[in-house]
Amino acid sequence: MDEMAFTPSAGLTLGVELELQLVQSHDLDLARDAAELLARLEKQQLPGAVKPEITESMIELNTSVHARHATLAAELAQMRDAVVREAGMLNLRVCGGGAHPFHSWSDRRVFPTERFKHVLERYGYLAKQFTVFGQHIHVGCPHGDDAVYLVHMMTRYVAHFIALSAASPFYQGEDTQFQSSRLTAVNAFPLAGHMPFVADWAEFVQYFGKMRAFGVVESMKDFYWDIRPKPEYGTIEIRVCDTPLSVARAAQLAAYAQALAKWLLEERPRPAARAVYLVNSFNRFEAARYGLRGQFIDPFEEKRKPLAEDILDAIAGVMPQAAALECADALVALAADVRAVYSDADWLRAQRGPDGALSDVVRKAAERWSAA
Amino acid sequence: MDLSFLPALPPSFGQTFLVGVLLLAGLLCGELLRRTLGLPRIVGYALAGVLLGPQVSGVLGPGALGNARVLIDLSLGLVVFELGHRLDYQWLRRNRWLFAAAIAESAFCFWAIHATLLAFGFAPLLAASAAAIGTATSPAVVLLVAHELRSAGQVTERMLLFTAVNSVFAYVVLTLLLPFLHLEHAVGWSLAVLHPAYLLGGSVLAGFAGSVLLLLLARWVGKREDRQFILLVALVVLAVGAARNLNLSVVVTLITLGLLARNLDRRHVLLPLRFGYGGQLFFVILFVLTGASLQFAPLAAVGTVVAAFIAARFAGKALALLAFAGLSGLRPAGAALLSVALLPMSGMAVVMVLDTAALYPEFGGELAAVVLSAAAVLTLLGPVATQFALKRSGEADPAAAGS
Repeated sequence: MDEMAFTPSAGLTLGVELELQLVQSHDLDLARDAAELLARLEKQQLPGAVKPEITESMIELNTSVHARHATLAAELAQMRDAVVREAGMLNLRVCGGGAHPFHSWSDRRVFPTERFKHVLERYGYLAKQFTVFGQHIHVGCPHGDDAVYLVHMMTRYVAHFIALSAASPFYQGEDTQFQSSRLTAVNAFPLAGHMPFVADWAEFVQYFGKMRAFGVVESMKDFYWDIRPKPEYGTIEIRVCDTPLSVARAAQLAAYAQALAKWLLEERPRPAARAVYLVNSFNRFEAARYGLRGQFIDPFEEKRKPLAEDILDAIAGVMPQAAALECADALVALAADVRAVYSDADWLRAQRGPDGALSDVVRKAAERWSAA
Repeated sequence: MDLSFLPALPPSFGQTFLVGVLLLAGLLCGELLRRTLGLPRIVGYALAGVLLGPQVSGVLGPGALGNARVLIDLSLGLVVFELGHRLDYQWLRRNRWLFAAAIAESAFCFWAIHATLLAFGFAPLLAASAAAIGTATSPAVVLLVAHELRSAGQVTERMLLFTAVNSVFAYVVLTLLLPFLHLEHAVGWSLAVLHPAYLLGGSVLAGFAGSVLLLLLARWVGKREDRQFILLVALVVLAVGAARNLNLSVVVTLITLGLLARNLDRRHVLLPLRFGYGGQLFFVILFVLTGASLQFAPLAAVGTVVAAFIAARFAGKALALLAFAGLSGLRPAGAALLSVALLPMSGMAVVMVLDTAALYPEFGGELAAVVLSAAAVLTLLGPVATQFALKRSGEADPAAAGS
């Protein structure tokens, strides 16, 4: 089971994947030029990688591995500039956000690779509805057991990442009333959800082997969990974030994950407990629906409080770790937005204007993404 | 028994009835060709026009065509406006080679046709007029085939861009040739200079005025698709009418209107353009009437020259597009398909030929026959070429292409 051999990675390293929207400049609907854009970007000397995603309206930026927030942010900015420049040559615009506000899912075409064709065949319309755009954060773990522990412990903070990144209030031409409607599209998949409560890496490998023997999955990629271990990279991957409207926010979210991971792995504040999964669905829904205005149930303290308050407490709690990782600025910026109850979702709603034209929302989002 | 309430027999049918016939014939022919041969519906519309036209059945006589001028103008106005509206100045600014490629596409094509016609012994000035007319790609065909296939991508975008540029190029060159034609006829210098200046300057000014009015009203109306659609049609009709009455160019006026409506719209008051079902109606009418105006009779006499004309036209476009492909960021395969996509020749060519021949009778005769025949052939075959290119490039939506 080579695939499941956990490649140790230097603890607390960071990597980010960002799925981006490609839109046509004349009507601001999703474009279909991913292949053409990728061909252009291949000729560039970029530090990370740019890859196709499931439909031809999407591309994915993958950063290289970073130890510090500052270099990650700089690399993301460099990649953003290259993508925006090359897209401009093709009369395309690029933007962040978790979902395109008004595209029609039936117009989407799946990127013609074997894996994506298989996904389309298996999941039918779900595959095209899955034209949503997320940020994945990888945090390096030295050992598989650390990864399992970190997945369980990080689950408590899933609602934080949802609320801090939420940027998909509109979906298929409607205001969904959610701050992150993207998460609902992910929920529809049978293998969405969370990792089972396994004690260590050995038990996880056993579980995976069973699932593969049943034919439920072929590889780790088939699990669409909120947080999943990625043995190949030696990381855990947090997958609940909407792609934010700017690379700066994407880097801040990664810094927050890094600081939390440092605290959890080095201090081991408590043993992993099944209790987090009891309230996970509630917390997750509150965060997706109400964002920073949602409620939060602390599974360990067993009490209910405003989500924003819990985020601010958590950020304050990991400030020493953030200082050690040289990412205190990023966390201070996140906390300031939480206090101001700022979210990208609210910003997008505000761009709609009195006339209610969703094309304006996309245009402004593209301008914001492109702004250095 | 007084039966005077009955119509005279055989009953005579008026314009309204004819428009109905025209729409129905267009619809049926379009669907028939689509279902049996997989051809673009436009070919069917044009074929219906040929069948109804003076060349075959004569249901649409020359008189009916004259009366239908309003409908043609209106439909063509909408198409050309949309084409102008798709032109994004920002794109040309970011990708400067693109504009160079577009100019080269027009220039090479013009030069190739001109050289060919010279080789066949036509007078240089008249050959230049014919070459200018031949440079233009049909805006209506490329736009409608793109719509029909729900095509989107680089080949599609560039096809629309290059069509807009070569349409303007054709008209400008034709207009700039006017002084020479005038002088050859020993008219005064002032007429020779003032006429083209009036045509171009006036058309651009009319388009500018229209776009300012459109944007002011759109801002007042607000971002509502239904209201804005009516507003657009109203302004397009106004602009077409004004251009006609002021002896200006409909094409240059409407392209300017569309172009400026897009590029002067700093507050983004105009919603993205969607003509929907209403627009479709106009386009059926446009192509049926274009079909009716096509002339195939001269083809037999000038077949060789027509074949050379079409070949030179294609070679000129392909040469420029391939030469500039890399610089403007298009793969060679894409450039080759683009030159195929740009094949349809404009129904406007017929109008331009007639206008030019009206001014200068010697343009009539053989040269007019060559251009008109080429237009006839490329109106029917052009849409097939465009459809092939868009499907082959993978930019057509397979669902739409199959339906």
